Amino acid sequence: MVKQMKRVEIGKSPDEKNLKQKLIAKFNDYGIFIVFILLVIVLSIAKPNFLRPQNIMNVLRQTSINGLLSIGMTFVILTGGIDLSVGSILAFGGVVAASFASDAVGSTIHHPLVAAGIGLLAGIALGAVSGLLVAKWKVPAFVVTLGMLSIARGLTFIYTDGMPIPRIDKSFLIFGQGEFFGIPFPVIIITFVYLIAWVVLYKTRYGRYIYAVGGNEKSAKVSGVNTRMIVFTVYVISGLLSALGGIILTARTTAGLPQAGVAYELDAIAAVVIGGTSLSGGQGALSGTIIGALLIGVINNGLDLLGVSSYFQQVIKGAIIIGAVLLDSLRKKD
Amino acid sequence: MKRVLSVCMIVMFTMTMVFAAGSQEAEGEKTYNVGAAVYGLQGEYMRLWTTALERHPDVVSGLVKITVFDGKYDASVQQAQFETMSTQGYDGALFVPIDIEAGAAAVATAKSAGIPVVGSNTRVNSDDLLSYVGSDDKKSGYMEAISVIEQIGGSGNVVIIEGPIGQSAQIERRAGNMKALEENPSVKVLEMRTANWSRAEALSLMENWLNAHPGKIDGVIGQNDEMALGAIQAIEQAGLNVKDFGIAGIDGVTDAMLAVKDKKMVSILQDATAQAQGALDVLLAELIGPSYVPKAKVWDSIDFNGGSEAIYNVPWVPITMENVDDLLAERSELTQR
Repeated sequence: MVKQMKRVEIGKSPDEKNLKQKLIAKFNDYGIFIVFILLVIVLSIAKPNFLRPQNIMNVLRQTSINGLLSIGMTFVILTGGIDLSVGSILAFGGVVAASFASDAVGSTIHHPLVAAGIGLLAGIALGAVSGLLVAKWKVPAFVVTLGMLSIARGLTFIYTDGMPIPRIDKSFLIFGQGEFFGIPFPVIIITFVYLIAWVVLYKTRYGRYIYAVGGNEKSAKVSGVNTRMIVFTVYVISGLLSALGGIILTARTTAGLPQAGVAYELDAIAAVVIGGTSLSGGQGALSGTIIGALLIGVINNGLDLLGVSSYFQQVIKGAIIIGAVLLDSLRKKD
Repeated sequence: MKRVLSVCMIVMFTMTMVFAAGSQEAEGEKTYNVGAAVYGLQGEYMRLWTTALERHPDVVSGLVKITVFDGKYDASVQQAQFETMSTQGYDGALFVPIDIEAGAAAVATAKSAGIPVVGSNTRVNSDDLLSYVGSDDKKSGYMEAISVIEQIGGSGNVVIIEGPIGQSAQIERRAGNMKALEENPSVKVLEMRTANWSRAEALSLMENWLNAHPGKIDGVIGQNDEMALGAIQAIEQAGLNVKDFGIAGIDGVTDAMLAVKDKKMVSILQDATAQAQGALDVLLAELIGPSYVPKAKVWDSIDFNGGSEAIYNVPWVPITMENVDDLLAERSELTQR
């Protein structure tokens, strides 16, 4: 064995170099968070109104729906899969729930929790179909969820006959418009979901198995992990959270809109990827996803506040997403 | 090193966007911050509306600062934008909603923040609007359908291409279409579907319909010009003669006016300048008070009445061979940079 020579850069003392390495290492771990903070600072200087408590609540409330989709997407991507159908399932869950909470379609049930529950079941059902196809019949996730994107959207239009469902019961609107001690309901909901997701992912065996399957499915299987069940369930979770997003959106817009959620999967994937989760699976953190979702929310809100034309907004958003992924891949190369 | 570079890149983008925004804060004099929440900017009509708004004399002079909020055809985005306007303490808002029902929540948000909202171009089911400046879509729906029926000689088969389902323009133009069709029972509707105001979607739709009903379609009722133009493209690409079809649209976008000149279709001009500038006048009358003098040309033909009316009906202008050249000239004046 060749003796491993300690590399010493000429001109630099060993201590200096270590500090630089340490800083870079720290930055790697918290890179996105630092970018996020920088963005907030820059925006607050440009528009002091940005930091008003009401605006912060706005950002949180507006981010909550994408946040829910992103949390589900994190679970899926961690296993090395992807879910392109979240926007369509959001719409389906939203209109199903709406149909049980509006007199416009002659609903006899008017209890908001029941209506929401049925909407969630709709999301679970569709997620289960995707999960089955991916886990049991090994159809690539991209293909399955691409198909489900179409199917779910089609079902949504069939179910509503293409028309929005108006006149949602006031009791249902609380999901999107209610407040608890000044905190909007959607924010409370996503906080709860995040906490539960965090516990599941980091404090349970199930969570560890998810990382294992994503890291190396074959090894996980050989080690006795029921990989099929793991893969199946993450799509169910994604479907459930998409439907929950749909319920909140319906409550916020006071109508069950079949055209809701178009292209929402892109923002969800962006949040996950920006947050540092690798698309190949097995690597990543839920906290990163939340920062990613908040980053997108702040960008949307901030650019609107600054009055940036929506055309520029799209370019900037795309550039930031690419930049973040570039960061991620460079980090891995070393 | 590479990592630091990437981060610098991101930060630079951030800084760029801050300066791209280029906020012009007028010092001293009171400026009115008005948000214009439009449902989407992919179609020419809304772009004309927005340009006309920015050409309003009080905007040009700096008295009013307009921020355009692109709703991206998504009701929840419009909802979020109204929340932003409320938080930021905008003085007033102009609203062109994507959905007649969902828009009500947005208006309610503005109302609870004390922000007056004037609707324009498309309706919303809300009692909280200060006023509405738009055109009667039932009327234009009726007019275009009658025109197609006349073009095909009073009997035959037509197809109807609709706007986004649930937007007031779609709902009301459909009602107008149906009224005309009820009066002419020898005209049958073979197909009716939405193409979401999009030329590309309408092209695909029409292609499929031409295949499904070869030789049977006599007329095309497009609830807006973009979609009628898409249908025309489909017909031409199928090697058929556009003049064998009776085609009508609504809005008077530039390509449609050119098509009218070529006798390929009939169209009705929707006056974007009147709707946009008129709505701003009504809003400013509320914000500034009775001393405000409205600036839009449309008040030569309809009564401003101090901006107190609930609905201002902007008349439609049927596009004919006699007026098309003048209209095109006005249009290029508006779109000149």
